[in-house]
Amino acid sequence: MTPDIKIRVADLNFSYRDRTILQDVSVEFPEKTITALTGSSGAGKSTFLMTLNRLWENIPNAQMQGTVEIKLQNQFRDIYAPDLAVTELRKMVATVFQVPNPLPMSIRKNVAFPLKLSGERSRGLVDEKIEQALKMANLWDEVKDRLNEDARNLSGGQQQRLCIARALVLEPEVLLLDEPTSSLDQASTAVIEDLLLKLKDRLTILIVSHHPEQVKRIADKVVEFTDGRIITAP
Amino acid sequence: MRYRSLERLTIIFAWLTGLLLLSAVSLLLGYLFIKGYQSVNLTLIFGDASPLRAILLQERVFNGLFPAIVGTLILVLLSVFWAIPIGMATGIYLAEYASPRAKRVLDAFFDVLSGIPSIVIGLFGFAFAVFLHKHYSDRIGPCLLISSIALSFLVLPYIIRTTQASLEGIPRETRLTALALGATKFQNIFLVLIPRSLTGIMSGIILAIGRCAEDTAVIMLTGAVASTGLPRSLFAQYEALPFYIYYISSQYADRAELMQGYGASIILILLCAVLFSVAYGIRKGLTHFALYRP
Ligand SMILES: Nc1ncnc2c1ncn2[C@@H]1O[C@H](COP(=O)(O)OP(=O)(O)O)[C@@H](O)[C@H]1O
Ligand SMILES: [Mg+2]
Repeated sequence: MTPDIKIRVADLNFSYRDRTILQDVSVEFPEKTITALTGSSGAGKSTFLMTLNRLWENIPNAQMQGTVEIKLQNQFRDIYAPDLAVTELRKMVATVFQVPNPLPMSIRKNVAFPLKLSGERSRGLVDEKIEQALKMANLWDEVKDRLNEDARNLSGGQQQRLCIARALVLEPEVLLLDEPTSSLDQASTAVIEDLLLKLKDRLTILIVSHHPEQVKRIADKVVEFTDGRIITAP
Repeated sequence: MRYRSLERLTIIFAWLTGLLLLSAVSLLLGYLFIKGYQSVNLTLIFGDASPLRAILLQERVFNGLFPAIVGTLILVLLSVFWAIPIGMATGIYLAEYASPRAKRVLDAFFDVLSGIPSIVIGLFGFAFAVFLHKHYSDRIGPCLLISSIALSFLVLPYIIRTTQASLEGIPRETRLTALALGATKFQNIFLVLIPRSLTGIMSGIILAIGRCAEDTAVIMLTGAVASTGLPRSLFAQYEALPFYIYYISSQYADRAELMQGYGASIILILLCAVLFSVAYGIRKGLTHFALYRP
């Protein structure tokens, strides 16, 4: 059986100033799978991820043409259409960056941050969701007794799992990860890979990865970028 | 080989300049202290009045520095009170909202503002007071309010620039963190970028406090006088430490009076130290609040 399509990108072109980064990219991503994006450094993988959550709009001199449709709440939506607020989109399409980027706050406040952004006030509900997200990110047992400590005191691997928990707390439908393990040691990498395999029952995962080993271990599908175009492997 | 000796020379030079600076500062403070420490005592501050009764405002101080200390303190607080919100808002606008063109124009404008000599700002404040006096009310003249407004213009560029620079110095990844989590631009600025910039902004505020506490040119044209007692209102004239120091060192009748000038200088420096510590404390408190508030 073929799984349902979650993300549909058509005729995507992207440039910084006059330099073309992505050219005529058309690609689809199936639902509840892990797709690995590979390719040499500078091929445009990070840029591609930013077109899926409109984050590139915050970078000066960037331009994009093409369409991106994502099935959100069981309905295909053009994410660049004016009726979809960009803040709403980013709550449903969450991102984890290459370098763990906890905010300079306590562990609890980091995970609660997206809830705060959406105006969630009820302390009980917030605590419940924090616990749920940290458990989903396999971090709860390690931090449950130190939730009020500064998040920057955690190890690199823990910080990255904290960032994953923070991305999961609003229950997104798509999770974008940009080389999430490239700054981590082998043990931490393995923990995160297990975590992603566990998560794919719930959401659609796109992960940029440099390591063929890692791709083999976790990916259902591979999309390779070269010179701003893509070659899809089975 | 050549680079090694060059490196040595550079290090020695850096040490020497550091040493020079350090000795200049300690010479200055040491000189002041040696000259003035004998005159620093309760009599210098409260004159013949009882300190407790003076602080409780039950007794007027006629021949002490107490009114000047209070005047300077109120002046500094008022000036930064005007300058902080306006300066921070302008800095935020320049760093986050202004179009490149607006930014170029305003950059030039604030450069000019920060280059205006304080005596000119003082003159403008004086003209403004005279204007108000003529056209609105006989009761308005050079006063505490006008001085503080003029001083806030003097220090506005510090706060604008440090706010702008600390915001612009935030790396792109940090800038995108909250946005990627669904923050609006406004939320990103106030929940992430400003708290991250507090240290930088505070250094601008500390500069501003020091400048307000020491400036003499502005206040002598806009309301500071040699002797009037505690300021009775925002629309009254007032005494201030730097003006007192200026006045006494240009008009002193005997050695004892000159010594009082040194004493006043020490007190002014101590006052600045206290204000700086309070500013640091507030910054620490704010950062802690941002971090650990549940
Ligand atoms: N803000 C920017 N301005 C201009 N060029 C950029 C910017 N960000 C990235 N680029 C360029 O775009 C290309 C693709 O970058 P990126 O998407 O980060 O590649 P990858 O993630 O595959 O290594 C690179 O050549 C990079 O130099
Ligand atoms: Mg990249």
